[in-house]
This record gives sequence, structure tokens and C-alpha cells, in this order.
Amino acid sequence: MDVWQQLIFLLGGVPVTLSISIISFILGVAVGLPLAFIRTYEKEIGFVVDAYEKILRGIPEIVLLLLFYFGLGAYFPIPFNSAFFVAAFVLGLRSGANQSQIYRGAIHGVGDEQIIAATSIGLSKWRAIWHIMVPQVMNFSTAGLGSEYALLIKDSAYVYVIGLAELMTKAIQIKSIPPGDVVTPFVLSAAIYIALTFPLASWLDRWGNKRKKKLGL
Amino acid sequence: MTDLVMEAKHVYKKFGKESTKTKKIGTQTCLATEQVVEAVKDVSMQIRKGDIKLIFGPSGSGKSTFLRCMAMLEIPDKGEIYLRDECLTRPGVDLNKARARIGFVFQHIYLFRHLTALGNVELALRQVLKLPKEEAYKRALAALADVKVTDCVNKYPSQMSGGQAQRVGIARAIARDPDIILLDEPTSALDPELTGEVIDTLRDLAKQGTTMLIVSHEMPFAREVAEEMIFYDEGTVVETGPPPLFFNAPNTDRAKKFMTRIINRTTRE
Repeated sequence: MDVWQQLIFLLGGVPVTLSISIISFILGVAVGLPLAFIRTYEKEIGFVVDAYEKILRGIPEIVLLLLFYFGLGAYFPIPFNSAFFVAAFVLGLRSGANQSQIYRGAIHGVGDEQIIAATSIGLSKWRAIWHIMVPQVMNFSTAGLGSEYALLIKDSAYVYVIGLAELMTKAIQIKSIPPGDVVTPFVLSAAIYIALTFPLASWLDRWGNKRKKKLGL
Repeated sequence: MTDLVMEAKHVYKKFGKESTKTKKIGTQTCLATEQVVEAVKDVSMQIRKGDIKLIFGPSGSGKSTFLRCMAMLEIPDKGEIYLRDECLTRPGVDLNKARARIGFVFQHIYLFRHLTALGNVELALRQVLKLPKEEAYKRALAALADVKVTDCVNKYPSQMSGGQAQRVGIARAIARDPDIILLDEPTSALDPELTGEVIDTLRDLAKQGTTMLIVSHEMPFAREVAEEMIFYDEGTVVETGPPPLFFNAPNTDRAKKFMTRIINRTTRE
């Protein structure tokens, strides 16, 4: 395979890499936001959130992937026999733990006064959180979320251990074609990873800073 | 008496817990007592429809805490708060519904920073009163026109002056037509040249017969619109009476001292 053929072959893995990262990012928002607010406003059950964060952040990605795919997959073939499902699910749960910490910082940054003002107009605590805190917290978190997204793109490379045909798996496939080019596929995939992470993360950072300035956050 | 809008009965609120612990500092053991602040000590008050009452007193005396207790933004430790016939301090009361009928204006304004002036005022109309979009929009615009900030309708709080922001804060409180408006030092966080426009707005509200309980030290304003002034110190109401009483000869020494200080300050400015 010449360089161009390799590149085209590798680009074939990009849709999978991107969809894993995007789905797990969204799952991370869905898990992380509630966790952050529970941890901040429901102190009695905050330890559950703490435990969740510690466990998921304390186990290497690759162990989680193998555990879910082969471990849970043996007992619950549906859905854990799907490498794609396991990849998005594991990365999403882990991202939820990371994002929870990002949002917690943002909640403190936004401040309690906004909640007090919202309850003073007759909103309940959780509706105040939804209407007042969530939009501001999201604005506040853009920089953190940008690097979380980059992390997800990069960590999706581990998925090759469960054989999903994403970017890294494709690079390894090229390597195993005789005579075995060990340099080009990895240089090319490194370049593709940078192209996938850098523009969006830095755009998010810039856009977030502009928003923050406008809203005086 | 049907015209009673709000009533506070023997309200009590303290901060901090009374606890004596033994602490080891180096080799010495000593008793550490945590400071308990009694912000509100047995305060009772009645506010009738159309009343304008003004609470004033030294800073740190608990005026703001009392006002927050009235709106149930702080839950009193003892005593009762009534809104019309409803006792808000009884367990199981829907406080959100009650707070929807109480307008609150904050010293530090606390506008919702991600919403425009219009969005700030509309939110309660849409989400609390559940008005249809068109009607909420009309009422929000009317409220903003009442406080004369129509030029800020689409501006974010960070793009407004302090005076404009506070008038939007007042619009947010009056738009849902509450039974009473509680104002916690609405001008004290503003630059002196901006307090005038907020005071003008409050004067307009007074003319319209709005029921108001105001914590403020704007003495000329108090003299003009307040029916009753309440001197509050160290968690209790020390003296109440009409403005002339305080401006001429208060009965208590504490009120006398405080009035002299405040009047001297005003004339120096």
C-alpha cells in the first residue's frame, strides 16, 4: 500500500471514531450534569457521586473495555456483545465522571445567588437549576468540555482491543500487511487524530470565552 | 381584617450552631465556642394593602435576614409568617406558589446573566404563571416600560448600568403582579449618581399604591413615601413610627444616635 492508499484506508475508520466520541460525549453530559448538581445540592447522597467518580476515574480505560466486552458480554450478550455499544457506553460513563467534576467547578463559579434569585420568583429548586443554572454552567464549562472532547477522541483509540474497526484498529491492520510498514500508518493516524481534536476544541474554547465575556460570567 | 397582606409573628432566626468543643492547640487544650449570631430575635410585623414600610438600622443588625425570612428565602427557626390567610411556616406549604406572590428585589440585583432584560422578566410569567407566550411578552414589556428601561429590552445584564439593572430587577419583581414587594437595600450597591433613577422608579410604584416593605437608608425618600419607619438593631425592632417622629425626636437613644449619624452623613454629601 502506498501512502495515499493507506490514508484512504485509515479515513474509513474516522466515522466510527467520531461517532463513538460524539455519542459518549453526549452520554457524558447526560450522566455528568445530574451528578454534579446532586453532588452540590443533595449533600446526603453526594457520597454516591463521589464513589462513582473515583471508581470510573481510577480504572484504566482498557480494563473497563475488556471487562464490559468480555466480562459482561459473556452474561448479557445483548447489548454487551456489540463492540460499538461497549465502546460508546464505557467512554460515556467515564466521561460522565470527568464532566461531573467540570460542571461542579462551573456551578461554584456561577454561584448560589442565581438559585436564590430564581427561587424568589417562584421556581422550585430543580426548575431553577434547569432554567437558570444549566445554561450558565454550560457556558462556563466550554474550555473544560473542549478538552474532554479531545480526550474522548484520543481514548477511542483503546477500542482496538475489542476489535471495532475505528482509526487505530485500521492502522494496526495496515501494519500487519507484509512487509509490515510500522511507521507510516501511525504517523498518518497521529495526524488524523490532531485534525479531529484540535480545531473543535480550540473553537469551543474561543467561542466560550466570547460568550463568557458577553454574559459577564 | 381582610386587608392584611403579610404578617410576621415572633420570628426568630439564628446562624451557626451552639457547640462547645475542646480543641488542642499545640500542647494546650482549650474550649472553643462557635459563634452564634441571632439575626432576628422575636420580630413581629403587620403589613396591610397599600402600606409602605421602611426598615433601617446599622449594618449587620439582621434587617436583610428578616426580609429574607418574610419571603421564606431563609426559613425562620421559630415564629410564623403569614401571606394573606396562609401560614407559610407550616410544614407542607407550597413555598414556590407563595414566593410567586411575593416580589423580591436584591441588594446585589442578581439578574439572570444568561438572559436579556426581557428574558429575565418573562421567565416567571412563562414558567411560574404559565402564561401563553404572547401575553407573557406583552406583560414583560409593560413591566419594563413601567420602570423606564425599554432601551434595554434586548440587553444582557452585563451590558447595563447598575441603575438599569436594578430597575430590570424591580420589573422582574412587579411583572407577575405580586401581593407585596420586598426590597433589600435596592440602591446601596449602586454608584451615588445612579441611585436617583432607582428611587424615581420606587416613587412611581408608591404612587400606584404598591404594597412595599423596604430596607433602605435613603432618608429623603423615606420621609417622602414611607408611612411607617422601623428602626431595627441587633435583631429586634427598637422603635417604630411615622417619618416625622424619627426626623424630629426619636424616643429611644439608639434611634436618636443613629439618626444623627445618618443625617450628618447625608448633609456632608
